[in-house]
Amino acid sequence: MRAVILDGIVLGLAYGLLGVGMTLVYGLGGVINLAYGQMVVLGAIVISLLMDDGVPTVVAALGGVLATAGVAVLLDLTLMRAVYRQRGEERTLLGLLLTLGVAFVIGGLLVSRYPAGGLYISISGEPISILGVPMARGSIWASVMALAVAAALLLFFGATTFGRGVRSVIQDEIGARLVGINPSFVRTVIFALSGALAGIVAITSSMNGPLTVNAGFELTTFALIVTVVGGLGSVAGAFLAGLLLGVVNTLSANYIGQYITSVILLGAAALTILIRPRGLLGR
Amino acid sequence: MERTESGPRRGARLAGSAGRALLPIVAAAAILAVLPSIWFEDSPYTTSLAVRALVFGAYGIGFNLIFGCTNQLFLCVGALAGIGGYSTAIFVDRTSLPIWVGIAVGTASAAIVGGLLSWIAVRRSLGIIFTGIVTLVFSLAFANLLLGRRDLTGSETGLLVTGAPAGLADDQVGAYYLFAGVVVGFLVIFRVLQLSHVGWAFRGLRDDEVAAELAGVDVARYRIYAATVGSAMIGLAGALYAYSSGFINPATYAFDFVDVRVLVLVAFGGLGTLLGPVIGAGVLAFVDEQLSARLELREVLYGVFVIAIFLFLRRGVVATVVDLFNRVVAYLRARPALRPSRE
Amino acid sequence: MLEVRGLAAGYLGERVVDGIDIEVQTGEAVAIVGSNGAGKSTLFRAIAGLLPPMAGRVVLDGKDLTRRRAHRIAREGIAYVPAERHLFPAMTLKTNLVLGAYPKRPDRDTLELVYDLFPRLAERQRQQARTLSGGEQQMLAVARALMSRPRLLMLDEPTTGLAPKIAQVAFEAFAELKKQGLTLLIAEQQVPLALSVADRGYVLENGRIRLEGASEELEQNPEVQRAYLGVA
Repeated sequence: MRAVILDGIVLGLAYGLLGVGMTLVYGLGGVINLAYGQMVVLGAIVISLLMDDGVPTVVAALGGVLATAGVAVLLDLTLMRAVYRQRGEERTLLGLLLTLGVAFVIGGLLVSRYPAGGLYISISGEPISILGVPMARGSIWASVMALAVAAALLLFFGATTFGRGVRSVIQDEIGARLVGINPSFVRTVIFALSGALAGIVAITSSMNGPLTVNAGFELTTFALIVTVVGGLGSVAGAFLAGLLLGVVNTLSANYIGQYITSVILLGAAALTILIRPRGLLGR
Repeated sequence: MERTESGPRRGARLAGSAGRALLPIVAAAAILAVLPSIWFEDSPYTTSLAVRALVFGAYGIGFNLIFGCTNQLFLCVGALAGIGGYSTAIFVDRTSLPIWVGIAVGTASAAIVGGLLSWIAVRRSLGIIFTGIVTLVFSLAFANLLLGRRDLTGSETGLLVTGAPAGLADDQVGAYYLFAGVVVGFLVIFRVLQLSHVGWAFRGLRDDEVAAELAGVDVARYRIYAATVGSAMIGLAGALYAYSSGFINPATYAFDFVDVRVLVLVAFGGLGTLLGPVIGAGVLAFVDEQLSARLELREVLYGVFVIAIFLFLRRGVVATVVDLFNRVVAYLRARPALRPSRE
Repeated sequence: MLEVRGLAAGYLGERVVDGIDIEVQTGEAVAIVGSNGAGKSTLFRAIAGLLPPMAGRVVLDGKDLTRRRAHRIAREGIAYVPAERHLFPAMTLKTNLVLGAYPKRPDRDTLELVYDLFPRLAERQRQQARTLSGGEQQMLAVARALMSRPRLLMLDEPTTGLAPKIAQVAFEAFAELKKQGLTLLIAEQQVPLALSVADRGYVLENGRIRLEGASEELEQNPEVQRAYLGVA
C-alpha cells in the first residue's frame, strides 16, 4: 500500500507540473492550450535527438527545455495575438480551437517523422529505500526535480517583483496597466514559462518510464483534468490536484483496473465542473 | 378593398415557396443520385469512399444542429455515433429482434444521451467551454468504457456486425443509396426546422442569448431539443454505419477520428448553413483520398485547416464564397457599362 | 506640464468627447466638472492611454504621448486613479502599494508619506484589498498611484461611493498633496468640492468644453450655479 501511494506521489508531481503549466496560461490569458501534451512530446523528441548526437544528457535536457519554451513564445507571438484580441468566452473558445489545430500539426509532424520516437532517461544505480519502500532512482530524481521546480515557482510568484506583476495581471489587468505593467509582455513570458515547464515534464516523465511520441493527446487530457479539478487559473490548485489525482490514479489502477481508472479521473473533472466549477482552490 | 387570395392561387404560391426552400436539397439529391454512374466505375473502393463521406456528412448535419445552430460545443460526436452503433449491435445480438428495431433502439439511445447532456449543461448553466470539456470527458470515458467491458463490446478486437440485408453491406452501391437517402432526409429535417419558429429561435439564440431569452425564447428548451434531434441523427448514422461496414471497434468512433473531422468539415462548409456539412464532407473525402498514402500528414493538414478556418474563415468557406459571389454579381449589375444601351 | 489639444475619443466609431483643449501647469490643480455622461471618464481614459484617441494630441512636458499605451504612460509619470479603482482584490493592502511602485522596489520614504496621509491604511496593511471599505479602497487606490512618485496625478470621480464626511477627508488629503507640490487633474461631479482644491477648472458638457476659468470665476458664473450648484 505504501509503495502504491509513493508511486502515486511520484506520478502526482508530474501531473502537478503539467497542470501548473496549463493553468498559468489560462489564468493569465484565458487560453486553454490543447497543444500542451504535444509540446511535452516535442521536448522529449528534441532531447532524444540531441542525446543520439552524443550531446551529454544535462545539455540535451537544457536544449529540450529551451526548445519547448521557444515554441511556446513563437505560438504566443503569432496565433495567440488573434486570440487575445477577443474577450471572455470568445477568447477561450478561439484559443481552444486554434491550439487544437496546433496539437494536430505538431503531433502529426512528430509522429510522421519519428514514428518510433520517444525518450527514456535511465538513471543507473540501486533503488533507494524511502519509508521502507525501494524506489527506483529515476523516480526519486524525477520527484526531486519536480519539487525543486515547484519551490522555484513559489519563490518566483511570491517574492519577486516580476512574479508579483504576473499575479497582478491575473487579478486585475487594467490595474496592472495602471501601475506600469505591460500585460502583453507578461503573457509572453508566462507562455514561455509554461513551455519550459512542458520540457521539464518531458524530462521528469521520461525518468520514470519511456515517453513515446504518441503520448501527446493523453498528456493533454491529464493536464486538462488536473487544471479543471484544481481550479482554472490557480497554480497552487493545479499542483494540489495533480498530487491528489496521481495518488488516486495509482491506487485505482492497482486495486480496481486500468480502464476504470481512466473513467474515474475523467469523472473527477466532470464532477468538478458540475458540482464545484471553481475547482479546489480557484476563485 | 382587400382581395383575398383564391384557394388555387394560394396553393400555387405556397408550393412555389416550398419549392424554393427545398431547391438546394433537391439539387443536392439530384447530384447524389447521378454520382455513382458518373464517378464510381463499379469500383468498391470509390464506393466505400463515397459511403464514408456520406456518413460523415450525416454526422455533420447532426453536429451542425447542435453546435452550429444552438452553440453547444458537443465534443462527443464519435461517442454518440458509437452509442448508436454499439447499442444496436449488442441489442440485436442479445435479443435477436429485427435489425430495424435495433436501429431504432440505437438511435433512441443516442438521442437520450445527447438530450441528457444538453439538459445537464442547461441546468448547471455551463458555458460553451465547460460544455466542451464535459462532453470531451464523456467522449473519452465512453471510449474507455468500450475498451473496458470486454465481455460486452469485444474491446479493441471489436464486434462483427452481421445481418445486414444484401446489397447493403460490404461497400456496395446499396449502402451508398441508403446513406444518400439518409443525408437528404436529414437535410429536409434541418431545412424544415430552419424555416419554422424553431429556426427563428435558433438564430436569435446564436446572435445574443440574453436578448433572445428576454424576448421570450426559451433558450433551454430549444437547446435540449436541438441536442436531442442532432444526437438522434448522429446515432442513426452510427448505427447504420455499423451494419454497412460489418465491423466496429472503438477506433471507429474515436474522438480523434470522428470529432476532429466533423469539426473541420462543418466549420469548413459553414456553421449553421444547410449544405455546409455536405460540401465539407465532400471536400474532406477528397483531401483524405489525396493523402491516403501519408496518414500522419493528413493529421497535420486537419490541424492547418482548423487553424486557417477559425482564424480567417470563421463563417465557413462556403458562406464566404457565396458572399463573394453575391458581391461580384451585385457589382456587375450596378456597372452602367454593362447595362443594355437604349439606342 | 500637460497639454491636450483637439482631443477626440469614444467607442465603436462614435465620438464621446471632441475638440478638447486642456492645459495643466506644473504644481497646479485643475478640475474637470460635468454631470454624468458628459464624457469625463472617456476623456481621462484617452489621456491615460486606456483608450486610443481618435484625434488630437496629448503632450507631457514636450513629449508626445498621444498613441502610447497605458503602461507606457504610467511609466512616464502620469498616475491615473479611475472611478472603478481597479485594485488587486486578493492581494494585501501592502502588496497593492508595493505594486504601485513597479518596476522599482517601494522606497521607504514614499511609504511613510502615504501612511502619514492616510493613517487608516497603516492600520490595515495585512488586510486583503477586497475586504476594505469603500472609503479605504479609494484611499488605497490613491496611495497606490502615489507610490510611483508621479508628476501628474489624475483622479476620476474620487468621491464615488464615499460618505460625505469621507469625501471631505479625501479632498483634504488632495489639498495637502497639492501643497507638497504635486500636480493634480481631478474629474468630479461634486463641483464645490472640486473647486475648493482646484486653481482652475473646465466645464465639460456633452463631450465638449463649455467653460473654463479660475475656480472663483466658475463658482460665481450664473450658468454653473444653476446647472451644478443647485442655485435657482
